[in-house]
Amino acid sequence: MDLDATLRRYTYDVTLATGAPPTIAALAVASGQDAEGVRAALRRLAAARILVLQPVSGEILMTPPFSAVPTPFLVTTARHQSYANCAWDALGVPIMMRTSARVVTACACCGDAITLDVDAEAPPPRTEIVHFAVPAAKWWDDVVFT
Amino acid sequence: MLLFRSEEHVNRWCTQWQLAPGAMLSLDQAWRLARAWFEADRGAPEWKRPPLEHVEALFASLDLRGPFWSLRPAGK
Repeated sequence: MDLDATLRRYTYDVTLATGAPPTIAALAVASGQDAEGVRAALRRLAAARILVLQPVSGEILMTPPFSAVPTPFLVTTARHQSYANCAWDALGVPIMMRTSARVVTACACCGDAITLDVDAEAPPPRTEIVHFAVPAAKWWDDVVFT
Repeated sequence: MLLFRSEEHVNRWCTQWQLAPGAMLSLDQAWRLARAWFEADRGAPEWKRPPLEHVEALFASLDLRGPFWSLRPAGK
């Protein structure tokens, strides 16, 4: 595998195992590359919309559907706790992990707590609504806002 | 993408923030969209983002239609 493929494989393996993406330092150790080589590879993976990077540090921000930083979507599985990037991604975590999960979040309007038990095999029998504010063609214009 | 108690809460939130309402998905629709989006092994070297036609077909299969779900420039 080339460096980009190696880093992508390692990033998803670590994220799925721990709930959060690896740091640049960890990626450098795992790949035997220096930090600048890792940064350049991460920029290529971000340009390909595989990952999303933190704008200042260049560290990984999103290994979709996982977030490296706390969000309003806390996802708990038997393996670990993690944060999802959005409501859609919170449903995606148990699907990607092929397990069940509990999502703890809140109504974005009123702040009322919402707890969803989400299965990898069937949609949750609930009545809440997921709202997409940004049209599909513009999701990547500002993916953090999306 | 945010989660709301109900459509009424979405509308209230949009009014409060002076935003045009976007698209409201049931949890059933959103889960099916998430399954199609995230069930693949994205760490695999061969994984690529799906082509536009594939995504359009996925949206249509979930009854996600109209300009909001269009991935092409207007008129294309």
